[in-house]
Amino acid sequence: MNWVTIIWAMIASACLTLALVHVLVWWHRPEARANLLFALMATATAVFAGCELWMMRAETPIAFGTAVRWGHVPIWVLFVSLVGFVRLYLRAGRSWLAWTACGLRTLSLILDFVFNPNLNYREITALRDVSFLGERVVVADGIPNSWMLIGQLSLLLLVIFVADAAISVWQRGDRRQALSVGGSIVFFVVAGTVQTMLIFWGIIHTPITASVFFMAIVAAMGYELSQDVFRAARLSDDLRDSEERMNLAAEAANLGMWVWDVVRDEVWMTEKGRALLGFAQNTRLDASALISRVHPEDREARAGAIKHAIETQGEYSTEYRVLLPDGRLRWIGARGHCIHVGDPKGIRLLGVSIDVTAQKQAEAQTRQHREEIAHLSRVAIMGEMAGSLAHELNQPLTAIVNNASAGRRFIAKGRADLPKLDSLFEAVVSDGRRGGEIIRGIRGMMRKGEEVRRPVNLNDVIGGVLGFVRSDALERHCALVAEPDPELPLVEADLVQIQQVLLNLVVNAFEAMREMPPATRRVIIRSERESHALVRVSVRDFGTGLPVEERRIFDRFFSTKREGMGMGLAIARSIIVAHSGELAAANAPDGGACVHFLLPVIAEGNGG
Amino acid sequence: MEDEENRGSQRESSSAMKELEPRIFVVDDDQSVRTSLANLFATEDYAVEIFASADEYLARLPPPGPSCLVLDVQLPGLDGLALQRQLTEEGKVEQIVFITGHGDIPMGIRAMKRGAVDFLPKPFRDDELLSAVALALARSAENLRQRGEVVESRARLAKLTPREFEVFRLIIAGLLNKEIGAELEVSLRTIKTHRGRVMQKIGVVSVAELVRLAQKAGVAPASHGTK
Repeated sequence: MNWVTIIWAMIASACLTLALVHVLVWWHRPEARANLLFALMATATAVFAGCELWMMRAETPIAFGTAVRWGHVPIWVLFVSLVGFVRLYLRAGRSWLAWTACGLRTLSLILDFVFNPNLNYREITALRDVSFLGERVVVADGIPNSWMLIGQLSLLLLVIFVADAAISVWQRGDRRQALSVGGSIVFFVVAGTVQTMLIFWGIIHTPITASVFFMAIVAAMGYELSQDVFRAARLSDDLRDSEERMNLAAEAANLGMWVWDVVRDEVWMTEKGRALLGFAQNTRLDASALISRVHPEDREARAGAIKHAIETQGEYSTEYRVLLPDGRLRWIGARGHCIHVGDPKGIRLLGVSIDVTAQKQAEAQTRQHREEIAHLSRVAIMGEMAGSLAHELNQPLTAIVNNASAGRRFIAKGRADLPKLDSLFEAVVSDGRRGGEIIRGIRGMMRKGEEVRRPVNLNDVIGGVLGFVRSDALERHCALVAEPDPELPLVEADLVQIQQVLLNLVVNAFEAMREMPPATRRVIIRSERESHALVRVSVRDFGTGLPVEERRIFDRFFSTKREGMGMGLAIARSIIVAHSGELAAANAPDGGACVHFLLPVIAEGNGG
Repeated sequence: MEDEENRGSQRESSSAMKELEPRIFVVDDDQSVRTSLANLFATEDYAVEIFASADEYLARLPPPGPSCLVLDVQLPGLDGLALQRQLTEEGKVEQIVFITGHGDIPMGIRAMKRGAVDFLPKPFRDDELLSAVALALARSAENLRQRGEVVESRARLAKLTPREFEVFRLIIAGLLNKEIGAELEVSLRTIKTHRGRVMQKIGVVSVAELVRLAQKAGVAPASHGTK
């Protein structure tokens, strides 16, 4: 053993070790092709180091020539992988330069095997001993082959290519990378090329030590790659930390987290999330398993929300009931969004779920209370109006009795002709229907039941209320004017409750004009479109106006009526607020008050 | 039975006023009630006019013959009771049958005190309404007849000279000729002449007839001294 052998063997083994490490990296992450190219470069460097040793220990000129010839193979590999590495890793460099350089290099490899003994020599005339690192090694004397200019041209192109790539990386802002990868490649390729050129052209007589320069390049690039590994490790630490923090937060907030790989139909879910839906820890979850837990009535709405999120690649937000295996019912609120990962088909939906049962129960209880109070107040107001409602019902009854009596009298007198009787019967039928409608309306208002929201035309509500208050208005000597907007869009509402609100406002308007002279008593009910999203219904009176600041009239137990309980407006407001609307009052500039409510229009195309 | 009698009387009065047929006015704001009332009255061949409000009714032509007003209490604008009051204030005598869907006893009493014929809560029996209407028409006819007699008797009295009218008032006061002469300080003969003219001009033969005419014409007997 001597120093040369030790150093070159070390270069080779260091390069091979690095190559092995990066091959393994590539093996586990096939997308890490830069690591594969790096491994190829390191291996080629190791092989070339072997070739150099072979040259230094050559016994004959022929053996030396063979060693030089075979040395071109690892050089080609190294060359091509270096170009590939720059393109892949630095994501820079002009491709025409890359292709030209690789083409020339390939040409020179072919020529290397065409010429004898190789690309660099026409003939090796003699070997001579020189002293190198205190050792005796051989170098060759010979006639240089001018074709080796092609190889050297390819190296020049390589340097230009790398320098150009490094400049664009520098301009991109990755200055350290430009220097360590680009700079080291340029420097050591130039150094290695200059040395071999001097040797092959017979200007200096030293052994070829290009592998040392190549190893420097490998080391620089290896360092760069290892930085990536460190970065990845740091990121994964950070990720683990933040994941832990998130888990803690999620646990504390009772959040279940989940990811659904839509294409592969796999669901990952945290322990909490599984517990929420009643799944065991280790069962495999997919979409159909989740759906099986959802209450059948809520499945369609949930599927719609998922479809919407995937189609718009946007937010997912829904609430649904879950039937647990033990038969209990649980309300789940889920929020998330749809993302694309990797290839365009990799759609994932990720988000959180939370148990909203308690909230839902509270909401239901609130609604029930509101419904009960609203019902009581409805019954009360209908009770107050019982007299005028009876009158309203009396009219068709009177007409029926009169017409039927008329018919009987015609018959008794023998003057009953069929057309006359038919017209009497027709009137009886239509008045009977009218009476039935009045009763249906009253029954609707007295009915105690869950609210039913459906598309409602507020003009119909106005029509219904006019039917209730017409007689009342007559008795109070109050003119009643309806100004409905015929183009009014629909709102989503409980008809009876909105009718109740309007009834309340109209009766209040009557009350406000109790002290006014009959000729000035007038109530105007008007419907109109407030904006593209809101409809307004207003009740205007010509009474004394609001006696206090507007706010107080909505307070419970505050009443300006002598025998009022003060519940009416408070209930009206709570009904309107529950319909996502707004109830407000103001004094009109020319006397009297105007109370109005706004309700949201049903969004177009949101019918499902 | 009462019904039969009423109908009888109605026929009687209509025959008495042959040339002027009775007419019923209906005022109700509810269209189906209005037309049903018209149907009911058609069974008795009454002439009917219907109105939706008091104002419409007031704009009608006044009827020449007997008439009656079937009036709803609850009306937009001027209501039934207010219309009754207004008619009374303007001195227009109208026989009114009130109908109401929402009436109470005080309201009924008030209406009756002001001279309403009847006050019927809706819905009512056909014969109730028809007999009330028949009564109202009978009263209206009677009024007309009375008003006609007054006109006629006053026309007869208008033929007298002031002196003769003075003698007329003393005769119906029950004074004898000589007492009248003493009262007027003229001879008995002169009084006899006046008396003969009065009887001749008025066209009666007895003092009793003179008294009846005076009553119809609304002429009070003369107050006289006790000489």
